[in-house]
Amino acid sequence: MVDEIQIDALLAKIADETGCQLERYSGILNEEAIIIPADQLRAAIGVLQTDFDCFHLSTITAQQRETHPGEIELLYQFWHGQGFALLLRLPIPAPEVTSIIDLIPGADFYEREVAEMFGVTFTGRAETPRLLLPGDWDQGPPFIRSEETDE
Amino acid sequence: MNKISIPIGPHHPLLKEPLSMRIDISGERVLGGTLRLGYVHRGIEKMAQQRTYIQDVHLIERICGICSHVHTSTFCLAVEKLLEIEVPPRGQYIRALLCELERVHSHLLWLGILAKHVGLDTVFMHTWHDRELALDIMEGISGGRVSHAANQIGGMRFDLSPEQEELVRLNVEKLKSQVNGVLDVIENEPALRARTQGVAPVSADMIRAYCVVGPVARASGVDVDMRRDDPWPPYDQLDVRVITRPEGDAFARTLIRVLETRESLRLCEVLLENMPDGPVAVRSPRKVPAGEVVTRSEAPRGEVLYYLRSDGSDKPARVKVRTPTLAVLSLLPEQLSAIHVADIPVVLAGIDLCIACADR
Amino acid sequence: MLRGILSLLIFPGLAFQVLCGLIFEWIDRKLLARFQRRVGPPWYQPAADLVKLFSKEDLMPEGVYDLVEVLLPLISLSAVLTAGLYIPIAGFTSFSFEGDLIVIQFLMSVPTLAYYLAGIASVGIYSFLGGGRSILQYFSYEVPLLIAISGPAVMAGSWSVAQISQAQLGMGPFVIFQPLGFILAVVGLIGKLKRDPLDIPSASTEVVGGSLTEFSGAKLGFWQLTMNVQAVVGIFLLVNLYLGWLNFTAPLVVVGIFLLECLLMVLVLSGASAIFARLRIDQLAGLGWKILVPLSLLQLGFVILMGV
Repeated sequence: MVDEIQIDALLAKIADETGCQLERYSGILNEEAIIIPADQLRAAIGVLQTDFDCFHLSTITAQQRETHPGEIELLYQFWHGQGFALLLRLPIPAPEVTSIIDLIPGADFYEREVAEMFGVTFTGRAETPRLLLPGDWDQGPPFIRSEETDE
Repeated sequence: MNKISIPIGPHHPLLKEPLSMRIDISGERVLGGTLRLGYVHRGIEKMAQQRTYIQDVHLIERICGICSHVHTSTFCLAVEKLLEIEVPPRGQYIRALLCELERVHSHLLWLGILAKHVGLDTVFMHTWHDRELALDIMEGISGGRVSHAANQIGGMRFDLSPEQEELVRLNVEKLKSQVNGVLDVIENEPALRARTQGVAPVSADMIRAYCVVGPVARASGVDVDMRRDDPWPPYDQLDVRVITRPEGDAFARTLIRVLETRESLRLCEVLLENMPDGPVAVRSPRKVPAGEVVTRSEAPRGEVLYYLRSDGSDKPARVKVRTPTLAVLSLLPEQLSAIHVADIPVVLAGIDLCIACADR
Repeated sequence: MLRGILSLLIFPGLAFQVLCGLIFEWIDRKLLARFQRRVGPPWYQPAADLVKLFSKEDLMPEGVYDLVEVLLPLISLSAVLTAGLYIPIAGFTSFSFEGDLIVIQFLMSVPTLAYYLAGIASVGIYSFLGGGRSILQYFSYEVPLLIAISGPAVMAGSWSVAQISQAQLGMGPFVIFQPLGFILAVVGLIGKLKRDPLDIPSASTEVVGGSLTEFSGAKLGFWQLTMNVQAVVGIFLLVNLYLGWLNFTAPLVVVGIFLLECLLMVLVLSGASAIFARLRIDQLAGLGWKILVPLSLLQLGFVILMGV
């Protein structure tokens, strides 16, 4: 069992490391989250691993909010004595983020799932071969809302 | 010898559910493998967004055919948190009781499958014979052997009558004595040990790198258990003993399940002993206030995570399910190297595959 | 002439051995089921299985040598049937000559070789693996088995099964003098029959159906028959080599004792498959060469010393 992570300390440390102004996201009822610029993800995870000894990525949750249809939101959900998340916002025509499978090999399946379901491109990794969708699926990422499919 | 690639799945006697692996071998040595899921992908996450919360409870029960109850419990818990309602103590206890019985049944099923995989059919038959009693107990509680339809948002859909409670108590006691014999055999059987000891060891560092959860992580000495680390009631009132083993090999993974079965039966007894009186459910409104919530519980295979976002309507805006199998499965290609072809079943069994969970 | 044909087709040939094979299979399955808290099949199940197999469509995978695929099960079946002719049944000998033990051993190995050929002649990858495993397994159990069963031959001073069986009337059952050899012979027989725990070549969770993955219909039926008859011949052989106790005058008692001994062998075989887990091929090779071979040599040396 590990001690609970100090979100404030984490926030300060990541801000320090990346030189960005970071905000907390308080939308989640029972967990903390920090909004991270997409290009600072690897730096943030580096801080997590080296300074906070936090390794457990529970999952990557992606979603497209009705209020912000122009962006895809990625929640990197961690566990270290308590749950917390890093929140990324990617613009929709070409959502793109660097892969973290060299830092966290266990992120492989989560990245592939997000890539398939939301059409997010993960750069810096070989490819994201189909994991869940059929090999001949050609209708685009199923979770993306488009004009035609909207009721 | 030349490298050959053997397909395992989507149809193979080894697999109870469809999964496709291509394993490269040279003679009797395994060089590596790749994995493909999705044969039972039903799009439950997407379907859940198009249905009401009340319908979703029943939809989510269909994610898994073994640990269906823990899925609905976690989902209901998430909705209850958004609604800011609390399940009455009696409802919590019955909910946890079913969770623990489900763990007993899942672990017994797994132990049987492991024995089958190494050609020890006798142990397989005996374990599954005892598992029947676990299923009977659950049937006595909910009327269903696998799908219980026991949860509703705000509590349980039914109460236990005093006679039912007594019957469950008696049967749990019977199951405990019955299962001890076969568990002893599994713990001490030299033939089983010869096939599992030292096979495909995984270090604690690997477990952390691959974010592995559940019994597989605990078998490598990583001390995680969401029942203790992130307890929802009544687990916060229970003293859950987390069992770990340092070895990390297939035998440790077997022992973990044996010991956890015993621990779960003990928890069942504690739950039955301290079962409070009172109502089992509170009324819940149909519409859920806007908000986001994350809940985690310990399924038989490890941490299951639900992320739920409500937009204030009677349908969820996003339901994300992370099942433990998906987390453990990422370790599989890594494990499938430098082992014997004959060890493939043992390695696969060690993971305790639930493909329907992984695919959703 | 007529007697010859009768002994080929009826007793102790085809009909008798197939019948025994079906009965033994049923007893074995029933025993195993009882060990496993199951009910087990009704008495006619093995026959029903065969009838079903023979009435099923016979598929021939593309790219295999048709003739080889058809001939292999037939050759194996005839080999084990022929081997059966040289083995006395309850003291009744149909054919016998000095050295038939060697011939029986050779004929009993034919199914294993055919199984291997079936594997490598097939286009399926599981068959290929199963075939390779069967030949590896053959090298592990065959040597200790051969050394073990030469023990009774040395003791009786003859290489004819009928003579060895006769010799025990005077000297007493050889299992008393060679308990180790008997155990080794049983292990070898389990390996030969590819039965659990030595079902490595056909382990369903590893290589699906082994060499027989691509076989179907009547061809698979003949394979099944081969296994059944091979079990019968193997059991008869070990009973004759090691378990005597046939020195009674009343023929019914002799037949009864013989049957009892055969059932005991079936019990031993089912018991072994009920309590042991399948070995890995490297574990078997280690067991065979590091433990079984030295033990069998020890037993043989002991027998030779006793003779001197």
